[in-house]
Amino acid sequence: MDFFGFFTDPVLRGPTIGSMLMCLVAALVGVIVFLRKQSLIGEALSHAAYPGVILGVIVAGIFSIDESNDLTIASMIMFGAFVSSLAGLWSINYLQKKWRIRSDSALCFVLSTFFGIGLTLASQVQISYTSLFRKLPAYLFGQAATMNDIHIYIYVVLALIVVFTIILMFKELQTLTFNPDFAESIGISSRYINGIFCILTVLAIVIGIRSVGVLLLSAMLIAPAAAARQFSHRLPVLFFLAGFFGIISGYFGNYLSITLSHHATAEYPNSKMIIPSGPMIILVATLICIFALLFAPERGLIMRFMRASYFRFNCLSENILKSLWRLDREHAATIKTIYSSQHISVIYLRFILYTLKRNGWIQTVNGSYQLTNDGKKRAAKIVRLHRLWEVYLAEYLGVGSERVHRNAEEMEHILTPEIERELTVLLKDPKWDPHHQRIPQKEAYEYV
Amino acid sequence: MSSHPYSDVGFFGFFFQLLLRLWGLLTGNIGVVDLATDEVQIIVLVCVAASSALVGSFLVLKKMTMLANSLSHTILLGLVVAFLITQNVGTHSLNINVLLIAALIMGLVTAFLTDFFCKVAKLQEDASTGIVFTSLFALGIVLVTMLTRNVHLSTEVVMGNVDALHLEDCQLVLIVLAFNIIVTTLFFKEFKITTFDPSLSKALGISVICFNYLMMIQVSATVVGAFRAVGVLMVLAFMTGPVLTARMLTHDLKRMILLAIAFGCSAAIIGVALSRHLLTYHGLALSTAGLVVCTIALQFIFVLILNLQSGLLRKRHSITTQEATFSLERL
Repeated sequence: MDFFGFFTDPVLRGPTIGSMLMCLVAALVGVIVFLRKQSLIGEALSHAAYPGVILGVIVAGIFSIDESNDLTIASMIMFGAFVSSLAGLWSINYLQKKWRIRSDSALCFVLSTFFGIGLTLASQVQISYTSLFRKLPAYLFGQAATMNDIHIYIYVVLALIVVFTIILMFKELQTLTFNPDFAESIGISSRYINGIFCILTVLAIVIGIRSVGVLLLSAMLIAPAAAARQFSHRLPVLFFLAGFFGIISGYFGNYLSITLSHHATAEYPNSKMIIPSGPMIILVATLICIFALLFAPERGLIMRFMRASYFRFNCLSENILKSLWRLDREHAATIKTIYSSQHISVIYLRFILYTLKRNGWIQTVNGSYQLTNDGKKRAAKIVRLHRLWEVYLAEYLGVGSERVHRNAEEMEHILTPEIERELTVLLKDPKWDPHHQRIPQKEAYEYV
Repeated sequence: MSSHPYSDVGFFGFFFQLLLRLWGLLTGNIGVVDLATDEVQIIVLVCVAASSALVGSFLVLKKMTMLANSLSHTILLGLVVAFLITQNVGTHSLNINVLLIAALIMGLVTAFLTDFFCKVAKLQEDASTGIVFTSLFALGIVLVTMLTRNVHLSTEVVMGNVDALHLEDCQLVLIVLAFNIIVTTLFFKEFKITTFDPSLSKALGISVICFNYLMMIQVSATVVGAFRAVGVLMVLAFMTGPVLTARMLTHDLKRMILLAIAFGCSAAIIGVALSRHLLTYHGLALSTAGLVVCTIALQFIFVLILNLQSGLLRKRHSITTQEATFSLERL
């Protein structure tokens, strides 16, 4: 099956589009949940939806609704999940506010108790409505594969409601999330907006339980938002990126679940093995998140590490140029002399010397190293920055001249030409540093 | 075992019968092998409840219950890996030692990964907790399904199955309970100090991190002990419910722990009795573990209402005395 086949095939398009819509909604709502640092509320609310799911099934069983009447059963289950999730939210708030139980224990207690109640009810369903009971594991781990076009209609409507509410309330949500006090002062009712937002969260959970399941839904809220956060800090971009990541994980999670199940049935024809879609979607979403955490251009771990090591490398090469300049400007220095002044391994030192040579800062003379003219200028510039900063520290900040060296040792790599110009003007182009050493002049970068 | 001793007694008859059987067990009339399934269930659930209450007390006070939540999810992966290893070695039953070691390693991995995402990858703390445990859990479910080619097994690990308990299962929970009791009594003072006054404990040279890790080991051991009986999720109710109930009644730490254990154990026994009663008289075979959790919730609500009423009474009382003094002053 090719990429588009998943959208056109009458059996596959239900699960595919359904999971994508669900993940989109969860990801969008998740952005706000993530920014408010309420990730664990999603966990509690999704577990709290479980007894509602079972109650929906029981009600369906009491009215002996035919199993084929998918629309009624699905909406009953979703309504039940909605109500019990809201009940969970209310209990958490009640326990926290009224009884001053800390949020983590309140969350944990409500989560596990609701789940336990759901399980007790489920065991009742198992006996009374055996045929309906077989539908239940789908809501635990997610089972997108059994969705059909009817589900898509429901989800499209719900997804549109969520998306439009977010668009309409965008400004209020933004203000309330980032600056609650300001929001209050300009007359945004936090109670009202928070209430709507809670309903949105519950709605996203209700939509999501079919393909991701109550046990894993909280990750679907957080992972896309966390991944998006790596790339941007603007809220609209966050929404777009998170939604995009959500859709991708929905598609590929469903794809993997279906193809893996196919392979499994082909290999073991006797076992009716179905890989649940929930874990697959979550794994894809987490992979995206981990990738973003590692490789995002600005905040990614690897990028940060590379920037840090590049900076260190730069500092080291500048230090070596400086030490060569100080050792003896005209004559070559052996690698041993250079090594004695640096705290790095010989191999790394050789590598740095190699790159310096390639950049034309130094040259080798009989196996020892000597500064080229360019190198001399560059080294003199660094020394100038160092000593200018020392003068600045000593004269303007009143730091004792014996304590200025260490700080200048760091600043010499950071100071930009603009700052250098400013310093030169401010200090009236000094000739000597606090240690009575001559400061290389800007024009020549050299002593006369 | 000729006939089931509890099959035809009512809810209160159950307790009477239980006492009789206990007496028989103590006097040696009933051997250990003759224990009825209900009694095995009671032993396991009581042990689980007691361990959970012990560990849960400090978890709730330290605001670390979410750690228990994530551990209870990730342990599934540990169990799968333990299952894989034992299968490769050749023994087909899950060895207790392997289980405990798997739990321990999983606990450490969870804590390490959460810390890594939080500190090194600069993800906010709640999100890193949420992502780590759910993804490990997802991995666990996928592996279980693929390896056993059966989705119901993972359901069983999540939900537990009290009816499938055997006498051998008592061994594991007893070991876990003994471990928890020993650790808690040995380090009671340290736990107390690290919980209530971390800066004092630092001054005294007691490492908070070290004891947090010890607590984490306790949590993972407890979850492993409980997963067969109540599943990895409902054990959270065992850990938080009785403790929160006890906390409403007392502020003394020792009394709170003892009360929590009492609440947990009584809920376990009542749950089993309730399940038997419903089965005999109403033909309802409800999940015993679920009923225990419901009992825990009911206990909590009961104490809550009790507190609410006494609180209201106290308030009304104080208002009337205030009014009285006020009118006296006016006179």
